[in-house]
Amino acid sequence: MAKITLDIFRFDEAVDTIPHRDKVVVDIPETTTVLDALEYAKAEVDGSISFRRSCRSAICGSCSMNVNGVTGLACKTPCNTVMDETGTVKIDPMPNFQPMKDMVVHMDPFWDKYARLKPYLQPADKDSDHATERRVSPEDMQKLVDVANCIMCATCYALCPVVSVDPAFAGPAAIAYAYRFIEDVRDGERKERIAQISEDYLWLCAHCYACSYCPKHVNPNDRIIDVKRAAISERVMMDERGPRHALTVVKTIKQTGMLAETELIQGTVGRFNIIGLLKVAPLGLRMASKGKLPPIFLKPIPKVDEVRTIIESLEVPVA
Amino acid sequence: MSATLLPEERPLDSHKRTRSSETKRYGFFPGCVAKESCKELFNSTMLLADKLGIELIELTAASCCGASVVNDVNRDVARVLNARTYAQAEALGLDDVITICSTCTGHMRAANKELLESEERMAQANSILGKFGAKYDGNIVVRHLLWLLIDDIGLDKLKSMVVRPLNGLKVAPFYGCHIIRPESVNGWESARNPHSLEDIIEAIGGEAVDYAGKTRCCGFHIQLEKDNVAANMVGQNMRMAQDHGAEAVLTPCPLCHLALDGYQQDAAARWGRTDLPTFHLPQLVAFALGVPAEKLGLNKHLIDPRTVLVDRDLIA
Repeated sequence: MAKITLDIFRFDEAVDTIPHRDKVVVDIPETTTVLDALEYAKAEVDGSISFRRSCRSAICGSCSMNVNGVTGLACKTPCNTVMDETGTVKIDPMPNFQPMKDMVVHMDPFWDKYARLKPYLQPADKDSDHATERRVSPEDMQKLVDVANCIMCATCYALCPVVSVDPAFAGPAAIAYAYRFIEDVRDGERKERIAQISEDYLWLCAHCYACSYCPKHVNPNDRIIDVKRAAISERVMMDERGPRHALTVVKTIKQTGMLAETELIQGTVGRFNIIGLLKVAPLGLRMASKGKLPPIFLKPIPKVDEVRTIIESLEVPVA
Repeated sequence: MSATLLPEERPLDSHKRTRSSETKRYGFFPGCVAKESCKELFNSTMLLADKLGIELIELTAASCCGASVVNDVNRDVARVLNARTYAQAEALGLDDVITICSTCTGHMRAANKELLESEERMAQANSILGKFGAKYDGNIVVRHLLWLLIDDIGLDKLKSMVVRPLNGLKVAPFYGCHIIRPESVNGWESARNPHSLEDIIEAIGGEAVDYAGKTRCCGFHIQLEKDNVAANMVGQNMRMAQDHGAEAVLTPCPLCHLALDGYQQDAAARWGRTDLPTFHLPQLVAFALGVPAEKLGLNKHLIDPRTVLVDRDLIA
């Protein structure tokens, strides 16, 4: 047994204007999960402590919260793996959400982004008489197994730095769930789905891999890349900056072997997009004043033909 | 793609002793940005290598690593491009490729992991490399200069080489996503609570500032997509750093450097002025080891870092 101090975020939107913290000392084995520690505190010390929970075994996705700065499932987090040297476990609601009561947050923005996906099958054979089942080969199903493990706990959404500054971004979970239908051979709205998620700022993912902490190993970071590739292969929103940026990177590597920064800016923003280029100009001028501008014409690397051979040997889409 | 429910991924070996680390001759992959808009990073790396008595052999015919963007177009291109780079290092008798960019580190290690873990992918790469007479035998370890400093030089040795300790300059570490995440690819240290930069800062006489932003994203990769979002990501992190007392920032990544150095001004409207100067890792280490400040390209930064050095009586 160990004396563990739970340092708990307290806030009730019905009565409080600002949050405060309560410290509750519990005498429990230090391997107790944070969720069980909270349950103990609620049962024995203060019945008003509020948090969501159901299954207690990483299946329902209810209990994601921030524990000593780390966001994840409280039921999957033993106290001794997170507590500091004083035996304190600091518990806060998930970031990127509006708190409702203690660790309970308003989940609406997260669910709204799911709802926009139409997260159910749109069968390719809508007029079917339903006499035959829709079969999927094991290989095709294999693609969907990882994403199907998503328990919608919103840990990835809470961790996403893009969501934290721009709530319009769909977020990792919704994009991974879009993938689940985009790559489902039974679905008939592949292109519409790619268009919808592209409009919800698919290309605003910052490649930061914060969502690689997914407690169910769904790895939304990899699925986001898959959806972008699908968007390019289906040629969705090809005039937007995201696809142009990706394709220009490949183009400059083919030309010079390098990522040519000057060409990349023009290729992404648009060579004839005067307003867009003017918006980039102030930073460009500040860099120029320090002698920090990338070269306008980049000399190709030695043996750049080899790079071209590689790119030509693989099926690479172009703008 | 694996179908296992809870795969416990084995991180790729990042501490392996290489022949290069014995001979102190390393393959060197500077990456695109250190050759284009952050030339001061390339120059200070070479000056630091001189001080450390190691030889960095630049892989001059190496291509871009894929920069995390090429995968958005095709999942094979970056892997085969990097296999070509590794084949060049092997042909020079080297087995260690040193990077100075977090994004290069993560993506070159990811490519190497894919090659080493799949005979099929290695065969695909070598069948293409064979068209121009190259072959990758799978002997390369990709490491960042940051890890080389700690594993091969050692913090004690580094400390003993310091001739100009930083007088307790308060430095905020900023890792850059791809040198720590995903942990299955990098694995050199904990991605959630890394401390290598802090160790370096302390070793050269600075005081490391702890703040939540140190492992967060600088927004570089979406600057051209939506510059205000990228600027806000910079502002959010630099606000945290300054609120924790930081006077300067240290990063092992030139992409983070471009973002932090370039966008604090644009983020000031929402996050308040921060104006924290950002040092490249080899710049600050080389400075502490006695390389003259004027050789380190500090005048190339948009937020001049010489001011804080003057404040701490480190330069006149």
